[in-house]
Amino acid sequence: MSATLSPAGAPTRGKPDPSRCLVELRNIRKAFGGIHAVDDVSLNLYPGEVVALLGHNGAGKSTLMKMLAGAYPIDSGEVIIDGKQAQVRAPADAQRLGIESIYQTLALADNLDAVANLFLGRELLTRWRTLDDHRMDAEARKVFQRLNKNFTNVQTPVRRLSGGQRQVVAISRAIYFNARILIMDEPTAALGPEETAMVGNLIRQLKNDGVGIFLISHDMYDVFALSDRLAVMKNGQMVGTYQTRDVTEDEVLGMIIAGKQPAGKTEAPRPALSGAQTMARA
Amino acid sequence: MNQIIQSLRRASIDWRMVLMATVLVVIAITFNAMSNGIFLSPENLYNVAQQTAVVGILATVMVLIIVARNIDLSVGSVLGFIGVLIATLMYSYNWSWSTAALAGLAAAIAVAMYQGYLTAVIGVPSFVVTLGGLMSFRGAAFLVADGRTQPITNEFFLRLGGGYEGAIGTTASWVLGALMCAALVAWKASQRRARQAYGVPTNALWLDCLMTAVPLVIVISFVAAMNAYHIPNKAAPQGIPIPVLIWIAVALFVSFLVHRTRFGRYVFAMGGNPDAAALVGIPVRRVMLLLFCLLALLTTIAAIVSIARLNAGTNSLGTNMELLVIAATVIGGTALAGGSGSILGSVLGALIMQSIDSGMLLLDVPIGWRYVIIGQVLIAAVVFDVVYRKWTGEMQ
Repeated sequence: MSATLSPAGAPTRGKPDPSRCLVELRNIRKAFGGIHAVDDVSLNLYPGEVVALLGHNGAGKSTLMKMLAGAYPIDSGEVIIDGKQAQVRAPADAQRLGIESIYQTLALADNLDAVANLFLGRELLTRWRTLDDHRMDAEARKVFQRLNKNFTNVQTPVRRLSGGQRQVVAISRAIYFNARILIMDEPTAALGPEETAMVGNLIRQLKNDGVGIFLISHDMYDVFALSDRLAVMKNGQMVGTYQTRDVTEDEVLGMIIAGKQPAGKTEAPRPALSGAQTMARA
Repeated sequence: MNQIIQSLRRASIDWRMVLMATVLVVIAITFNAMSNGIFLSPENLYNVAQQTAVVGILATVMVLIIVARNIDLSVGSVLGFIGVLIATLMYSYNWSWSTAALAGLAAAIAVAMYQGYLTAVIGVPSFVVTLGGLMSFRGAAFLVADGRTQPITNEFFLRLGGGYEGAIGTTASWVLGALMCAALVAWKASQRRARQAYGVPTNALWLDCLMTAVPLVIVISFVAAMNAYHIPNKAAPQGIPIPVLIWIAVALFVSFLVHRTRFGRYVFAMGGNPDAAALVGIPVRRVMLLLFCLLALLTTIAAIVSIARLNAGTNSLGTNMELLVIAATVIGGTALAGGSGSILGSVLGALIMQSIDSGMLLLDVPIGWRYVIIGQVLIAAVVFDVVYRKWTGEMQ
């Protein structure tokens, strides 16, 4: 999907090697005042994989993801992207690395229209370095059309749009700029059933294109339907990372609430290789 | 008929601007009737335009400051400080007007960087920073020349303030008016073409023509009015006053920044949702500091116009100016909560305020009543703003 959308301004990227680690977070720490929001957490993500991140409010999942997105500085620890150590000090750094985020709050400027929001921070410019409104308008309409055929009021301030339409704007941002690594923080929290299904389909499409996705969600149904692996955090620490199909909903709840690892289940520090890949390796 | 309503609804017409322009017209006609035709005489229009220029220049940038969720209470004092500084350098130190003006600009930028640093980097509310500035820079305006008035004698410089010699004459005014009209038509046409080229729906042709014709008529009648003002003992009529010309240039420049540059878009994004602006990677602090620099530039320009108008720099220059500037901005539809406002609105707001003031002056309304009424006009504008925003669903 990202390949067909590939617009003039956005970088084009080939399909990544699924066996090469896309993101590796090593021993990440973050403290706010005296509170350890994220305490020595390690987690990784492979291309075409959805890793769900679970935990109570305040468990540190959003903080961890905001560090990856460059919104918070990292106290200590390493971020390794494509096997190379990366410095993510500001959102712009993350964007350059192909990391896009869809925040729970959607991070939209309510007073600007959908087009302006899609390109916010990365406007298309004419050769005089002025805003190229017409080109942005035309490009934006194409992206919105793909996500929602009925979305035509692209020039009204986004505050007047419905929850689903606002979500379309936020998601378009990730798609238009060809994210390789996508962080979705509660992407379906404010949506109706139809729009939730749309987001689900989109996640599957992006997976097919080799995009790696971190999915923060409280919705067990979404987690089990969409994720390949799941990681549970509690009080800023990592409880464990498992293949989604290896664990039950009760076991996941046990990890979230009590912070205890399920008995007899092995952790999955990397995704299971598909049959074909295992054969090739053997 | 239905089709007409449909096209109007689809067109991005700012009804608020239309309403404000209507209010201005109604005010002008009412005062004109009450003053037996004096209000709309070329002489009065010339004076109103000229008197509004300084407030108008500052209001354009105040729109952006307020849109970005800040406020500047110190503009009047800084204007006084910079004005006296330039006048002193010219009168007491014999600097040329251009070096003095550049020194003034440098001082204004230093002031803006100081206040901007405290606001954008340290995070002190701009209300507090500029409230302190309101007092401090009034004091600085006194200190520069020890409170002595600094006369200005340079003839070229004096013309920047308008007045007797401060207009560009009829021919130049017509040429300029024609150029503006041509630019307007060319701009509208290119916009329409570009929309078609990208397959974006366009307005009906008649509507685009109408939306071009209205500003054309305004430009032409403005030039005609300014050219009709003939000071009795002068050989030729006045034409457009230079301070008004400066104001027009400033308003066009700031509008350009707002609509066509990243800077302008970022200012609005920061006002609409500061968290989102930071999350999408807008360099929030740098944009804020740049905005303060723009403020410094326009304060210097306004200071030059004011001292040229007064023929002197005095330590009371610009006293209470911040109130007029903020009032013009707010009457012009800029929300104090940030995120919305327009340059054209500030122009209309400044004109509405000055028209009411000068109309009452013509009618010999005592000064006390003038203050009472202007203050209530400001409140009426904000009440309207609140009601309007609730009606459009911007506010709960």
